[in-house]
Order: sequence, then C-alpha cells, then structure tokens
Amino acid sequence: MISAKKNGFDHRRLINHSCRLSRFARSTGAAVLCFHIAAASLALPAPNQLFYESRPAMGTSFEVYLYAPNRERASQLFEAAFDEIERVEAALSNYRSSSELSRINASAADARVVTDPEVFALLGQALAYSRESDGAFDVTVGKLMKAWGFFRSEGRYPSNEELAHAREQTGWQRVRLNRQDHSVFFLVRGIELDLGSIGKGYALDCVARVLREAGVTAALISSGSSSIYAIGAPPGKAGWLVRVSDPLDRTHILSTISLKDQSLSTSGSYEKFFKLNGRTYCHIMDPRIGRPVEGMLQTSIIAPEATDSDALSTAVFVMGPERSARLLDNIAGTAAIFVTDRNGVERIVRIHWPNQAANAPQVFKTESR
Amino acid sequence: MNRRSFVKAISAGTVGTAFARRTERVHGPEKSPVAPSDQVGLGIIGASSRGQELMRYFLRVPGVRFTGLCDIYEPRFAAARKITGEETPIYRDHRRLLEARDLDAIVVATPLSLHAEHVVASLQSGRHVYGEKSLGLTLGHCNMIVEAVRQSGKHFQVGHQYRYAPWFHEVVQRAGKGEIGRITHIYGYWHRNGSWRRPVPDPKFERLINWRLYKEYSGGLTAELGSHHIDFANWVFGAIPESVTGSGGIDIYRDGRETNDNVQIIFRYSGGRTFIFSSLTENAKVGAEVWIYGKDGSVEVTMEDATFYYEPKGAGSPVSEITERGVPTGATYSTKGEMPYRGPGSPVKVPQGTEGNPNLSACKSFIESLRKDARPFADERVGWGSGVSVYLANQAIEAGRRIMFADHLKR
Repeated sequence: MISAKKNGFDHRRLINHSCRLSRFARSTGAAVLCFHIAAASLALPAPNQLFYESRPAMGTSFEVYLYAPNRERASQLFEAAFDEIERVEAALSNYRSSSELSRINASAADARVVTDPEVFALLGQALAYSRESDGAFDVTVGKLMKAWGFFRSEGRYPSNEELAHAREQTGWQRVRLNRQDHSVFFLVRGIELDLGSIGKGYALDCVARVLREAGVTAALISSGSSSIYAIGAPPGKAGWLVRVSDPLDRTHILSTISLKDQSLSTSGSYEKFFKLNGRTYCHIMDPRIGRPVEGMLQTSIIAPEATDSDALSTAVFVMGPERSARLLDNIAGTAAIFVTDRNGVERIVRIHWPNQAANAPQVFKTESR
Repeated sequence: MNRRSFVKAISAGTVGTAFARRTERVHGPEKSPVAPSDQVGLGIIGASSRGQELMRYFLRVPGVRFTGLCDIYEPRFAAARKITGEETPIYRDHRRLLEARDLDAIVVATPLSLHAEHVVASLQSGRHVYGEKSLGLTLGHCNMIVEAVRQSGKHFQVGHQYRYAPWFHEVVQRAGKGEIGRITHIYGYWHRNGSWRRPVPDPKFERLINWRLYKEYSGGLTAELGSHHIDFANWVFGAIPESVTGSGGIDIYRDGRETNDNVQIIFRYSGGRTFIFSSLTENAKVGAEVWIYGKDGSVEVTMEDATFYYEPKGAGSPVSEITERGVPTGATYSTKGEMPYRGPGSPVKVPQGTEGNPNLSACKSFIESLRKDARPFADERVGWGSGVSVYLANQAIEAGRRIMFADHLKR
C-alpha cells in the first residue's frame, strides 16, 4: 500500500481486481445487489480506468463508480457528485433543522409555506405516486413509523390509542400543494413529510445529471445498494450488471440483469423488523391500514429514473404483485420482481422483468426453489 | 478561453441580440420602490452553482419570481430554468438583461473580478442588488460599488449570510456585553480536504468554471472562504483592521492554478486586538469555525451553532492553611493546566424553530428590505469592510510584508 501510494496511485480509488468487488458486495448492508465488472476490460489499453469512492450521506452510504482518464479527474468528479448529494440532503433531510423539509414540516399546518419549484416538484411527484398507488405509497407515514417504533429503533407493537393518534396525523390527502405559488399546506396539525422512500432515488438522479454534464459517459451510483442508477455502460459492455439476491438465502441469485441509463431499487422486509407471537412486523407500512405490510419479503423495480424506482419499490411492496401489475403497465420502462411469503412458502413473481443478462456469470444456480 | 474573450463575452454582448429581443418580455412600467404586496421580479447575473443555490433560496420567499437569467455558459440556462420551473427569459449579455422592464432587483453571482461591473450597472439601471461576496476584486472595485449604491439610492445587500444567523447575533450580543471578558483574539479556520477544482467538460471552459483558481478573476481562499470570517471579526470588533500580514503558497496542487492552496493571515485591529485566519486544502479536521477568545472565556462559532466556554476562576478560595502546613514539593511537572479543555461547553440557545437556514434568512431579509424600503443589515459598508480586508491581505501575502490599512484607504 505504501509503495503504491508513493507512485501517486491510490488503491482505494481504483478497482482493478474482482476481490475488491466481492468485498464490496459483502459489505453492502442488505447484500441484495452487487456488481460485476470484468477485470479483463481494464487490462486493455482503454483510455479510462474505473474509480470508486464511497461516503456516508442520507443515513446510508453512497457509492460512486465511474470511468475517468486519471485519478485527478476522478477526484474532481467525486467532489462534484458528493457535493450534489449534500445539496439534496441539506434540502430534504428530516434530521436537520435547517433543511427545507424541516421548515415545511414546522409551519405548513399554520400557513401556506412557499417553497422552490424543485422541492415543490418532488413533493408533487410523491403525491402523484400516492394517488396512482391508491395510497400505498405515502410520504406522510412518519408518525405511523414512530408509533410502530421504527424511528431510530427496532420496532414495537403500539397501543390502540397510539395507533389511532398516529393515523390522525397521517395521510397524503391531508397535504395540499398549490401550483400558483408553489406552496405547501397541511390540513391537519401533526402531519410530517418524510421523503425517506423517494429522496435517495432523487439524489441519484441529481448526481447522474451532474456527472453527465461533466462529460461522464459510464458510471454506477448507488445509495446503500437500495437504489442504483447506471449511466451508460462499462467500455465494451452492454450495461452494468446488477444481481438480485434471494432474501432468504443471499448466496442464491434470483436474477442478474444489465442496467444502462436505468435505475433499480429494492425494498425488503428484512431491513428492520420485530417478531411478536409468531408474526413478523417489518418497517414498511401499509398506510391504508396503518400496519406493517405482511406476506412480502422483497421487491425490486427497474425504472428509467431512480426517483421513480425508489418510490415504486415501496409502492409495489405495499400493493402486492396483482395490483402492482396494473400500476406498472401505466409507467413506461418499468419492471418488477417480487419475492412473497405465503405461510412460509417463498414465491417469485415477475412483471415485465428482463431476461438474464447475456454476460451474467454462470456460477450461480438460477431459481429452483 | 483567454482573459479578453472571457470578459468580452460576458460584458460586450457579442452574442445573439436577436434572441435576447425575442425572449425579453415587457410587463408594463418599472416597479420601484417595491410595494409590500407586490410580486418581486428578480434577475440573476451568473447562474452557476452559487447563483443557482441563491435562486432556490429566493424562490422560497413568497411573491418572488425570477424574470431574467443571464450567463455566458450555455448549459446553465437549462439548469437555471429547471430551478425556476418555467421558461424564464435568458440573456447572454447583462446589459440586455438590465434593459428588461419586469425586474425589481438583480442578484449578482459572477466571478469576483466582475462584481463591480455587474453591480454598478445593475444599480445604475435603477435596480436593487443582492451581490455575492467578496465585494470587489480590488480597492477600486469596492469603492466603486459603495459609491454607486450612494448615487443610486437603491438597496444593496452583500452575500454575508451569517449576518442573518440567529446564533451569530446571540454571540455578538453576549460577547459584546462582556460575557467572556475583554476580547483580544479571534481565530478563524476554513479547512478543507480537496483540490477545489471543479470538473470541466472541455478544457476550453477551464478558466470559466475554475475561475476561483486564477488571480485575474479571484481572490482565492482569502476571498471565497475567508471573507465570511473576516466579516465576522469586523462585526465582533466593531471595526476594520489596521494592518495585515500573511503567508501562503501553491504547495500542494501544482496544477497550473494561480491562487494559493493554503493561506495564513494575521489582521491587527486597534488596541492590539488580533484576528488570525487559516485556510488549508488538504486537512479538514477543524472544518469551518471561528473561536473568539476573551479574558474570561471563549466562544466557538460554526455554520450551525455556537458554544460558550468559560475560563477557570483562579482567585477567590481561602488559602491560609498553607502558611501552617507548608506546600508540597516534587519533581513532577503537572501538565494539567496546559491540556486543552475537553469538557462540555454551554451551547447558545436560539428559540426553537428559529435556527433556520442563514442563506434563506438572508434572501428573505433582502426581499423584506425592498418591500419596507429599509437598509439591509449586511449592506455595502459591511461588504466594503471585508472586501478591502480581503484585498489587502492578498497584497500582504504577495508582497511578503505588513500592509497598513491607512496607507491604502482614504475613507
């Protein structure tokens, strides 16, 4: 390592062998997805090398892989990418009192809060998903999450009073957006917007724009592996390979697909949950009934943009495969793979899901469960 | 892009007047001063990263609309229109922008060397101005802006947004009342770990995008980062410095840049009061913070909060028993009194919900100034104080000697 650094070469930023990749795959919290980049392509006299950097943001770890001609250029691009993530987090974070979202949450029940068109448009997009999913996706579930103990802790069963109180302070229909002045108004006090199910995807789309504007043609960006966006493809490849793992056996790969100028997001019940009297209560709420979703293990969604895949992975997790099919039919370029749990029996359901990527490694058995 | 073509392109209007005419809209007679109920129409000159950030903040103020976008770098128009959410008229020459009739005020967020030209032209067109810091690249530029504000009778606010942070006010007020005793020293840091270089899609845009790294456009770290700290020291001391010395160099990033990648500056104020500013670009341990040191305590001020610390009380406890029992002797030197204090401090409390965002508060306050026809708190005199200090500090670093403010300032 020391001799490598003497040559002005930093191994932390350059991935040139596959063991670095498998370490990354193991380290991604949910370990649902991982990436394969053939080592061979870097041995060719290609003008670009693959660089990698990861930094904590938005309560997770953002990962950026990009091709650049040299380390100096790569580090400028990383700076620009992570600056953009910081900008988005500074506007949307619920954990910062200085954020625009905190300002809206603090005063939109008292009076209309005028916000900028960017934040307004994102809120509009979130509410549109609520409408299209008949409330399965809802950015006002914050109070419900807290009642079920999923805010900064591992969950608990709420009392009837707590639940009733939380439900009074939940509901996307209680948020009014006024297009004339870009203002937000809450019809009841206590409503709390939480963009946790759409904000990270939005940040990825913003980063993709920044990198494209800077001339990047091949990059993979991810927010803690739960949302991934692919710019172009690695040199000589059809796309960036992404693996969807079986939530019950992470070594078993359900599908390896190729992403190019597309996004993939995954939601899983295994991220945060608690068990009580033989039942499992996960952190993903069904806002329509005020309870955690049951019977769903994992959903992965492909969409043209990460804002959409992020929101949709939660929406379809709540809706289930049958109703999701109708929703996805109306949104161009989307596809989904579900892993459901019916009384302990795992079932895989695909909607428009692409075929196994042609260059997927053949080391894993395909589904046979 | 060389200097001449850069400046020419931004100021001489060589580009598309036909297009400018097509996109200009006339909304009736010019509004000035702004009535409290009125919509405020803003134009921006320089819609790059900082300009775009300011646009987002201004658009969070009720009744504000951007009615003109001016830049010389084509991709910024689309980016800025994405922020306004509408097909805002665009201009490639600031003079065409200033001919538009639906503008109440102009936001100037261009490179430092262009502040004076753009601010003065905007004021002369009868518009109020929110101008980014530092005030101007040279003493002449700073003086020109102050003079133009005076002549125009319009309002000017400089982009020292921390003047609008409630915890900054609390600190200045409490320290001013003597809570930490006589204030003798202020130490300000803005340390980062990065090259400060932005990615450039094509080498021909290097100087346009990385203008901060070139002396003809920029005052470097002193201006872009230090001006906030310098303004704060001026605010706390209630004065501008009497002299400045400094050092700095291009010691890490020898990549063709002309502005220093590290600076250390010592400002002396009246009565021996001293402000020391340091900026590094390869270690971010301390980040951006300011320490105020007084005889009885210290205050740590950051971009999000502030904390008071108090010096231990030395005198006061009865010690007569040592005359009976004697004092112990030993070979051990105790380091205790020399160790940094690592205990908790007393955080500055501002009313819940008023912490806010200094950027938004500054933008909101500017719009209020227009509606109430009131002088902004961070006015041109505030900007002048930090602006001339930045300029003379860079002169001192370059000359390698102490510079007396009185030798250069006639005010």
